[in-house]
Amino acid sequence: MNLRTNDLPLAPPVRGRTPLVATGFTVAAMVMYFASVFGVYLKERALVRAEGLPWIPNKAKIELTQPGMVIWTLIISIVVMQWAVYSIKRDDRQHALLGIGTTVVMGAMVVVQTTWHLSQTNLIADEGPTTAATLIFTIVGSYLVAVVIGMIILTLTGFRTMAGQYGSKQTDGVVAASLYWYSLVFIYFIIWIAVYIAK
Amino acid sequence: MTENQPLTKDNTEDMEIRSLELGGLAGIFGTADHKNLGRLYILFGLTGGFLSLILHFLVRLERINIGGTSILDFGSNNQYFQTWSLSRTSLLFFCVIPLILGLATYLVPLQIGAPSVAFPRAAAAAFWAWLVGILIHVVTVFSDGGLGVPESLTEFAQGMDPEATELSILSIAMVAIAVLLASITLIATIVTQRPQGMTLFELPLFSWSVLVATGVWVLAIPVWLGNLMVSWVDFQGADALRYGNVENIWGQLSWLWSQPMIFAFAIPVLGIAGEIIPVATNRAQKQYVVQQIGIGALGVLSFGAFAQPFFNADVSDQAVFVAMGLLVVLPVLIFLGGLTDTLIKGKPKFSAQLVLALMSMISLLVGTTLSALHVSGPAIGAIQEIDSDWLSGLVNWLKDLQGTVIATAVMEHALLASLIASIAGLYYWSPKIFGKKMNNNLGVLAGLSLLGGLLLSGGSNLINGFLDEGDDVYLSTSNIGVWNKDAVEFLNIVGFIGSILLIGGISLVLLDLSVSIFLGKGSNEDVDNPWNGHTLEWSTQSPPPSGNFAEPPVVTSERPLLEVGGGGE
Repeated sequence: MNLRTNDLPLAPPVRGRTPLVATGFTVAAMVMYFASVFGVYLKERALVRAEGLPWIPNKAKIELTQPGMVIWTLIISIVVMQWAVYSIKRDDRQHALLGIGTTVVMGAMVVVQTTWHLSQTNLIADEGPTTAATLIFTIVGSYLVAVVIGMIILTLTGFRTMAGQYGSKQTDGVVAASLYWYSLVFIYFIIWIAVYIAK
Repeated sequence: MTENQPLTKDNTEDMEIRSLELGGLAGIFGTADHKNLGRLYILFGLTGGFLSLILHFLVRLERINIGGTSILDFGSNNQYFQTWSLSRTSLLFFCVIPLILGLATYLVPLQIGAPSVAFPRAAAAAFWAWLVGILIHVVTVFSDGGLGVPESLTEFAQGMDPEATELSILSIAMVAIAVLLASITLIATIVTQRPQGMTLFELPLFSWSVLVATGVWVLAIPVWLGNLMVSWVDFQGADALRYGNVENIWGQLSWLWSQPMIFAFAIPVLGIAGEIIPVATNRAQKQYVVQQIGIGALGVLSFGAFAQPFFNADVSDQAVFVAMGLLVVLPVLIFLGGLTDTLIKGKPKFSAQLVLALMSMISLLVGTTLSALHVSGPAIGAIQEIDSDWLSGLVNWLKDLQGTVIATAVMEHALLASLIASIAGLYYWSPKIFGKKMNNNLGVLAGLSLLGGLLLSGGSNLINGFLDEGDDVYLSTSNIGVWNKDAVEFLNIVGFIGSILLIGGISLVLLDLSVSIFLGKGSNEDVDNPWNGHTLEWSTQSPPPSGNFAEPPVVTSERPLLEVGGGGE
């Protein structure tokens, strides 16, 4: 049988994955934003170090305990968020809600730990503003804003899940929220390495 | 945010039942209808265009020196710089971007057969955030704020208010976020809301150009936002170290108005001309995919987030920058070649939109050619061993063009091409948008005035660039070392006349809009498809009803109405 593609009937309309596409581009924009700020950070750090000067002010203390806790919190949040996605795909709204809610709480933990950590770094108190302090505050501050936005998105997704908008036939909203959340974990991983570990 | 549901018979009927038309202020402030949002963007964009061209006029007036005395004295370099920088920010963010977003928000769902934009409430939030942000920015600049000062002066205070400056930075950041949000709603609409049978290859050229342009914006504007945020955080310190120093703020942001990035805001010029010219000739556009590739190539070649002289002073000599500057002319040439073929083989009907579309294409071609000229010095120097005096002299002379007002000429051509194309789109789609036609003669007159203004203003900057006038015209030193001071001063008078013509052009458009649309004098005969349009927006009534289409359209070609006899070859 010589059947050309054009002879076949058109496929039935498929629901567009609108939230997923929009989230994909939002994540792309966010990655470009952090790439821009990281670019400035790494360039300036290289310039200061090339002069033989310390990048982090001498009296500043960047402990690794809290960033370590944050990265573990975020890694666990990936599992929890994926649990929510897994549950919604099986119409298990109760566990999906539990997963989303737990992820929001973990987001709050990230905000609290990071804010407290910044207050303990002594980046400005003794030596006044430095380039390192400016850029660390910009990167970490922007990241906290992104986390809070993520928590708002997750909360809205939770309400919609509760209202029955999402289920096994329509998982887009939950999957999109998870995509945003995973991108936050990825970005924090870069912050953890570039800012906290490598200093 | 609520995403759109696909249009089906069931929910179309449902939508008609549920639709609630609100009038008055509630209708304006509470609207999430893409058509209302599109109209609001267009009206504010034209108003912003008028204001930004007034600022352009003031800047050109200041540049006129007669006998060493400036005609207009701003009182200080700071105030002149604030006006100069606001003329650029407002031309881009208060005129060109809202006009593009307005046309796109109104037309993209119609062109792809969708009932609305993908996230209507996000689109509404983007509009209001943009409007509030840009108004705060304008007010703060006039309140001694702005995006910095040109020179390191003795103290920060030097006529500037730190709180107003901070608010200027934050408000323009708000505008950038709003533009990103609006761009993402448009991208999601185009990618996911297309009807059965419409692949990306069947996408109308305007929608395709919006997809490419907003794609580039979504990748580049966050980088600019990063620059803004670093400046703002540094500005918070008692003593800003570097980024927040008032003399450094503009330097970090200026790449958005420079090549190659500036061409990202002119991508829709191709899309608008690509819609108008085939319809005016009543012919299908040949080599449609090549035209799409041309638009895509312009998108790729205009991604300029890497070209930041503040962080990389040698960027203008680097291979990627030079190659992009040279190659950017090619997609415009290819696209224009395709349109010329359509024009020659058809019998074009004379109309304001046709004249304006051709003018915008010519302006963009000149702008991209100037871009190539601007980088030609390093290019020739790189590809050839310079062993003759005259050739190395030529290369050095061409290299010296960088940092001259030719950069301003490139920016003017790109942004004004976009403005003229948007006005062409307004004349073409006014029956669809407002239910009335605009006046053809006034449109042609406005086009001639705008093109004349651009030729005089951009042309004078081009020649002054050859005469070595520095691009930092807000400094009294920009005239030092010019080849012929009298010629530069004369050409600045010519440029000033150009700025008057530009104001005249946009005033005529605003006048026509007021008389034809708001006073109702425009013709409303045959407004559903007056030009025998080829694309889906012309298959529904004008202005379209709630939900746009009675039946979900099925499409098998990029010109569905031409295929069914709405137009004929």
